[in-house]
Amino acid sequence: MGSSLFWLVFSVSVLIESLRLGIGKPRNPGTGFIAFGASGLLGILSLVLFLKTTLKKEEGPRESIFAGRVWKRVLFALIALVIYANAMPIAGYLISTFLLMSFLFWIVRGQKWWWVLASSFLTTLISYCVFSKWLNCQFPEGFFGL
Amino acid sequence: MGVFDHILLGFQVTFQPANLLFCAIGVLVGTLVGVLPGIGPVGAMALLLPATFKGTPTSSIIMLAGVFYGAQYGGSTTSILVNIPGEASSVITCLDGYQMARQGRAGPALGIAAWGSFIAGTISVIGLMLIASSLSKAALSFGPPEYFALMCTGLIIVTYLAQQSVLKALMMALVGIIIGNAGMDIVTGLPRFTFGIDELTDGVGIIPLVIGLFGIGEVFDNLDQELENRQIFQTRIKNLWPSLKDWGESKWAILRGTIIGFFLGILPGGSVVLCSFVSYAVEKKVSRNPQKFGKGAIAGVAGPESANNAAAQGCMIPLFSLGIPTNVMMAMLFSALIIHGIQPGPLFIRDNPDIFWGLIASLYLGNVLLLILNLPLIGIWIQVLKVPYRILFPLILLFCLIGAYTTNNSSIDLLVMLLFGTAGYLMKKFVYEGAPLVLAFVLGPMLEQALRQSLLMSQGSFMIFISRPISGTALGIALVLLLSTIFPYMKKRRQKYEEFKE
Repeated sequence: MGSSLFWLVFSVSVLIESLRLGIGKPRNPGTGFIAFGASGLLGILSLVLFLKTTLKKEEGPRESIFAGRVWKRVLFALIALVIYANAMPIAGYLISTFLLMSFLFWIVRGQKWWWVLASSFLTTLISYCVFSKWLNCQFPEGFFGL
Repeated sequence: MGVFDHILLGFQVTFQPANLLFCAIGVLVGTLVGVLPGIGPVGAMALLLPATFKGTPTSSIIMLAGVFYGAQYGGSTTSILVNIPGEASSVITCLDGYQMARQGRAGPALGIAAWGSFIAGTISVIGLMLIASSLSKAALSFGPPEYFALMCTGLIIVTYLAQQSVLKALMMALVGIIIGNAGMDIVTGLPRFTFGIDELTDGVGIIPLVIGLFGIGEVFDNLDQELENRQIFQTRIKNLWPSLKDWGESKWAILRGTIIGFFLGILPGGSVVLCSFVSYAVEKKVSRNPQKFGKGAIAGVAGPESANNAAAQGCMIPLFSLGIPTNVMMAMLFSALIIHGIQPGPLFIRDNPDIFWGLIASLYLGNVLLLILNLPLIGIWIQVLKVPYRILFPLILLFCLIGAYTTNNSSIDLLVMLLFGTAGYLMKKFVYEGAPLVLAFVLGPMLEQALRQSLLMSQGSFMIFISRPISGTALGIALVLLLSTIFPYMKKRRQKYEEFKE
């Protein structure tokens, strides 16, 4: 039910924005013409889905989709990746990737610290050599020039 | 130039050392991602796409196509040995393939999967060669209304054949059109849905979107489960060459699978997954011993494995002759061609004979390479399967990050990828499919252009889509399909209401 409401809000937002952009006329379609049509249809289908799930819910309660899942691990990984995306241009590829890899290798199970550090170091170094040196990909250098 | 000259040209192109190398890399990476759970061929194609920017269009397409059909081969290995399909198209192979492995017949199961795929791939290449060039000649008479109608019908068929809810698939297609709409309007030059971010003026990039949905989303989905080491079926794999008895039981299954896969693959939305299921159902129906299916029948492996490889090549026909990708993998090939400045469509084969015939020849060569790779390298693939996921997932995430970043050297692309990664994870949880979204995202700008041109042609009358025979028929099919999903639901609700009233 929550997802249908999300799509309903999304479609209404797109609908408002497409009206602002201008939908024009069938003879001369405007910038927001397609988005207007697609969001209008999406809104209708979201309502249908909402009604469908509401009617189904009356038939009995359902288990949460996150029940029995380690969703916190996903959340931590996502936060780390967002920090990485923002920090990489400042800290540089080598430092930020080493820190990210250390976190990701550590997050799953209590690995030994030396194993985590060694794996992260090797992964960072090999990926840097392959992509930056061999394939000539451009990575940010960061404040240490690394 | 006749067909024979074209084939010669194709082999000349393919046997150039660079193209040969790209073909080998493509099928190797494809087999690897087919074997490994956690990243599929779509994600792998998106990851490799930036690496092809410096290469020629021919090399790029040869490599990406290799990833696609290589993954079909690789997926069968995990289905047979671990009972975990590496790819959705190999789900059905688990039923009999794993049972064969349990009976000590993993070798013949893997062997017939590889041989069936090779034979199906070879026959399909000939079909592709014959049909694509004829269809592209016919497509020269298509105008914007026909293209609009065909694209709409393709999208409707993709949603109709969705593995989960058709309603949700339809919603995803609409979301894809909206996202594809972001960026600068090609007619007025005005920015749309860019939120003031300069990087979004060119629209949302296909690479961060696909890597996010199919790479990051998949990793997140695996990450929230308890990561246990997979149990590989411990058996000595021997007799990879199927016996004469095995061949006898499989030969017609391979042929039927090839025909089913190839023709279903041509249809819009005719996914490789669907073909393998249809082939299995047909084999069970025509078998003299249907009770053997699910208990280790070799025809239950040979048919679907042939079908999914034939479909992988059949679905290239609409892309190269009409310029319309019919599934998400073809959408990736389409994007690769566009990035290299080549427009797929009716003139594609005439204007780019080296790319088209080079690709055709590479498909044939790729099938030979896969046969060489799959049989002797099975031991290595099994070792790859034993790599624990706790080591694998940080590496997959790193490849995703590098793939998204190196496209434009922009951290905005990383954030876009993470946004779609989160969306992909939640979509899996709420049972929404990503394929209709990506296909609609790629078709969106073309759909808009065709709609606008059609309306300008007709001075604003929507009747132009109905009055022209091809577009009218295509839209009629789409309408029938939509109604066919609504009526059974209405009937069910009505029955429930009647029961409630009583």
